[in-house]
Amino acid sequence: MDEATQRDLDLYRGMRLVASWEQRLLRFIEEGRTSGFYHAGRGQEATAVGATLPLRVDDYLLYDHRGLGHAITKGVPIDRLFGDFLGTVEGTTGGLGAGIVHIAWPEVGVLGQSGTLGGGFVLAAGAGLSIRYRNTDQVVMCFFGDGASNRGTFHEAANAAALWNLPVIWLCENNGYAVSVAARDAISVPQVADRASAYGMPGVVVDGMDPVAVFQAVQTAVERARRGEGPTLIEAMTYRLRGHYEGDPETYRAAEEVAEWRAKDPLITFPQRLLAQGLVTQDQLDAIDADVDASVEQAAQTALLGAQPEPDRIFRNIYA
Amino acid sequence: MPVISYARAIREALEEELERDDRVFVMGQDVGAYGGAFGITKGLQQRFGKRRVFDTPISETFIVGGGVGAAITGLRPVVELQYADFVAIAMDEIYNKAAKWRYMHGGLFTVPLVIRAPEGAAHGGGPEHSQSPEAMLMSAPGLHVITPSTPADAKGLLKSAIRSDNPVLFLEHKALYGMKGEVPEGEHLVEIGRADIKRPGTDVTVVAWTTLLHRALEAAAQLEKEGISVEVIDPRGISPLDTDTILTSVRRTGRLVIAHEAPKTGGAGGEVAAIVAEEAIDYLAAPIIRVAGADIPMPQNSGLEQYAIPGTDEVIAAIRSALRD
Repeated sequence: MDEATQRDLDLYRGMRLVASWEQRLLRFIEEGRTSGFYHAGRGQEATAVGATLPLRVDDYLLYDHRGLGHAITKGVPIDRLFGDFLGTVEGTTGGLGAGIVHIAWPEVGVLGQSGTLGGGFVLAAGAGLSIRYRNTDQVVMCFFGDGASNRGTFHEAANAAALWNLPVIWLCENNGYAVSVAARDAISVPQVADRASAYGMPGVVVDGMDPVAVFQAVQTAVERARRGEGPTLIEAMTYRLRGHYEGDPETYRAAEEVAEWRAKDPLITFPQRLLAQGLVTQDQLDAIDADVDASVEQAAQTALLGAQPEPDRIFRNIYA
Repeated sequence: MPVISYARAIREALEEELERDDRVFVMGQDVGAYGGAFGITKGLQQRFGKRRVFDTPISETFIVGGGVGAAITGLRPVVELQYADFVAIAMDEIYNKAAKWRYMHGGLFTVPLVIRAPEGAAHGGGPEHSQSPEAMLMSAPGLHVITPSTPADAKGLLKSAIRSDNPVLFLEHKALYGMKGEVPEGEHLVEIGRADIKRPGTDVTVVAWTTLLHRALEAAAQLEKEGISVEVIDPRGISPLDTDTILTSVRRTGRLVIAHEAPKTGGAGGEVAAIVAEEAIDYLAAPIIRVAGADIPMPQNSGLEQYAIPGTDEVIAAIRSALRD
């Protein structure tokens, strides 16, 4: 099997795992095992997976609240992710039940999440500074949405990273909306990537529904960063097929628009494309599906065995 | 024992810790070749090079938040805000990122970050360059807040802060930069969270820091001539606060005056007073008295500054009041 086909299968498996994991979480929510407060990433899998797969285990990841695709693809154990939602001591936060925020796993470079949107930009630049200081070829991947791109922290971080050629990839998942406010009603230029040149870094717009396009754009940016040539801003045009949160009445967008984007669902279009190109067989895809679903179910069962934290858990780890 | 300035003591601490640990670096506005707005980092870039000591753009959220990012990826940054008033600009980065990153992420990270910033009134800095904002940060769980009053304490506490695995807001007082004092030779470390009885006494306890520590010592010296024995305690920082030393003293003297330059309302003195009232009310022979700055923004006119902050006379008056039966 050639490298490109293997990569495509890895992308398919990655997206399928992310979607399957999320589906299983939504069942936990329906069953009342965890609070319904969740920001689904359904529809954005091609971006989350395509952008994270090119990274090494020692590259750093700062991410935001849109689904768990980034963390899953980076290698955070998926049973522990369930644990964070079930609030058990087996979650990555050891019982704080961080759920959609604050999942972290330093051994695969996942540095955590800022609860305040855009808070992570300056931390990403700082991690990039750390890499350059220690003279390694690691990179930092920083995910954010179209909404967060207007924070002042983006400006300060982007300026510092470009000024000092820090190895940071700014990955904007432009899904057209912050919560209810459309990107066109919040951003002063047509594309977030239009701002890249203002900082002296390359800006690229990619089809966020095509995992290969995202993968290739990120791979180019990663190689650039590893060579010490500095940051890149990649804007992936995508869409969230579910509401901003579970239960969101979505009054701010038309059903027709959602249907239009649903037709571009990467979980449907990507395997269709691979089959049409004769690169893979349906059997191969089915085998991946079965394997993924089995591992998700096993992770769910493992997570259900986790213990709830004792009350005194809240007093630990305030200070080192 | 060598006598050096508070500014030089801080510089020595930076120099020694930069020498000792390659993970330590210094960044901030004008800290490099220029040597810092107050000359504190003078000569450091020359000695250690641009990798270890470097200038940043005017970007406070990056100065602090970038420091957090470097601290959670293996380094020990010492970042500088040019004025302590600028904690307001980087408040999310200090209060919610530096202080909470460890806790929020289940203890998976340490944030060995030091944020240095000069506080306090001096030379007509005005409302946005004269504040002593320690009380704003006192309530941040996960953060240490240090307010050294002497050169020896400044040096010893900064070294401890840099070696601490916790984030520390190190508030130097700019009016004390020129003040000289004895600083022990060799490796001089002061434990974070331990108050210092700067002057033992028996009749009244005065808890004070930075400029008001010195006003309190002056007041004590004057009152000694009248046979009044004043115990002056310098907490050296407000988080962690050494309540044991304060309570032990109050249980002996029965009278407490708290003095700080920051305005009274919402100042850290209120927290000290509440703790003493909760835990030692039966020992108090008089109400607790706070001596503090006026509840106003600092006026720009340097001639008016003196009316906004308390001096030795105010401390003396408060002590007399506390001694009234």
